Amino acid sequence: MGRNRWNLPDLGFGIGLRTVHYSYILANHPPIDWFEILSENYMDTGGRPLYVLDQVAERYPVVLHGVSMSVGSTDPLNLDYLKKLKALADRTRAHWVSDHLCWTGVSGINVHDLLPMPYTDESLRYTIDRVKAVSEILESPLVLENPSTYLEFGNSTWSEVDFLSTLAQEADCGILLDVNNVYVSCFNHGLDPESFIDRVPADRVVQYHLAGHTHKGTHILDTHSDHVIDEVWSLYRRSCQRTGGVATLLEWDENIPSFEVVHAEALKARRHRGLPEPDHTRAYGT
Amino acid sequence: MAPDLGNTQKWMQAVILHPGSDREAVASPRARKLVPASEFPRLIRPSRTLDSFDRIGIYRGMYLARLQEALEADYPGLAHFLGPKRFSDLVTGYVDRYPSRSYTLNRLGDRLPEYIRSRPGIVRQDFLYELARFELLMSRLFDAEESPVLTPEAIGAVPPESWETARLKPVAALAVQALRYPVGAYLEAVRQGNPRPATRRKNHWAVVYRRQYALRWLDLSRPAYRLLDALVNGVPLGEALSRVLRGGRQQVGEVQLFSWFRGWVTEGLFQAVELDDPA
Repeated sequence: MGRNRWNLPDLGFGIGLRTVHYSYILANHPPIDWFEILSENYMDTGGRPLYVLDQVAERYPVVLHGVSMSVGSTDPLNLDYLKKLKALADRTRAHWVSDHLCWTGVSGINVHDLLPMPYTDESLRYTIDRVKAVSEILESPLVLENPSTYLEFGNSTWSEVDFLSTLAQEADCGILLDVNNVYVSCFNHGLDPESFIDRVPADRVVQYHLAGHTHKGTHILDTHSDHVIDEVWSLYRRSCQRTGGVATLLEWDENIPSFEVVHAEALKARRHRGLPEPDHTRAYGT
Repeated sequence: MAPDLGNTQKWMQAVILHPGSDREAVASPRARKLVPASEFPRLIRPSRTLDSFDRIGIYRGMYLARLQEALEADYPGLAHFLGPKRFSDLVTGYVDRYPSRSYTLNRLGDRLPEYIRSRPGIVRQDFLYELARFELLMSRLFDAEESPVLTPEAIGAVPPESWETARLKPVAALAVQALRYPVGAYLEAVRQGNPRPATRRKNHWAVVYRRQYALRWLDLSRPAYRLLDALVNGVPLGEALSRVLRGGRQQVGEVQLFSWFRGWVTEGLFQAVELDDPA
């Protein structure tokens, strides 16, 4: 079991459920520990996506991960969205529900991006109240991820990590620590990623994200389009020493390779946590 | 003085949504009303390698790229017909007119057919409108609720005397279409990577439906369209049949009717036979 304050389970090493892998998963039932589900892709469909999700949730542990809660937006919370999210969590028996510390739009518009917050006292107070309200609706602690960011607001008076940590403590929510996002944002803002990792309250970390990115020279984009780089693995090991290791998820969203390649990348995390290598021969029957 | 959280968000969104350049976006009236252009470098800190315009520009670039990718996935035929440049121009104009107001990108393209029909200066506007409408229909049927399918046992259980007034309930993922252009054939050609088929106007009829979670369509003759359209709209079987037998220029025999009905049932177009309450 994990060591987070809610005793939420260490689900092992999973990947995100993606359309290109549906047929493979249904046909082969690969020996993967768990799947992360993109909530919005399944909230309004009665077609194949929901059929596949039901099959997956029947066989594997799942966690819901969203991109449109917009918990930092100054628009009212979308209660219709939250109601559907809760219903999906119940349907799939999701272990937890996560989204991002961000806003995605205002004035009724959705930009469909994880937009950065100004890290001010006003933002913090506001977001604490919103997170508490969401957790109450979901009847479980919301888990919030640190997004990759490409700009900083001049009026921020908090660092991102202190803002996130204080928010998690004050709103009593969990943290999905995206180690790649820590690396990306710290590069983009000229900050020290190890310091970020060391300041995250370990007992709040419920889950890790790992992913590849695209280095543009002047900045890094969080594209989930490649293998995890060594520096990110190093940060992951550093954080695991503090948390004891929690559920770990490999994201791959662009140029998605075969299921086996994505799963193999996720399983590298076992080695970085000092766990034995899995038996691939047995795992894939080859 | 720094803007509050609400105004900061309104300002950033106004800049991201502005269709012009980064500098035009920051200097636009809507953005300047919330943050004077002179305050911009203080609001968005430059990094070691990027100035404030570059940094907000990353979000602006990703916005259009993301929405274009989503619409291309929902409208592959339209994107194929227009080519990258014209499709990109269409998307830029569309999302400026109809920015997303849903938590899901799946609803982003809901008004694209309407936009195509109303936008002046679009070449082959009638064809593109019908193609877009058809692709939107496909998206909706893809996500429609799954229905049970009418079984031979259920058909066999209907008393012969009840068929006259029976209604056939269609599955949820089904639509009967009267079309003016061969948009189905066009989409199939795009999907298979074949050369473009003709896009000349040609009245035809089809039923689009989902079977085993895959979208399909069947071309229909005009009388078959009239019968199926009546049935899916709740007209009792006897009345629907008599309409087809009475009206229209094409003669329809009983063998033909039976063949249609058997084919439609086999394809799983109906979920139930609804009988009048004997009371």
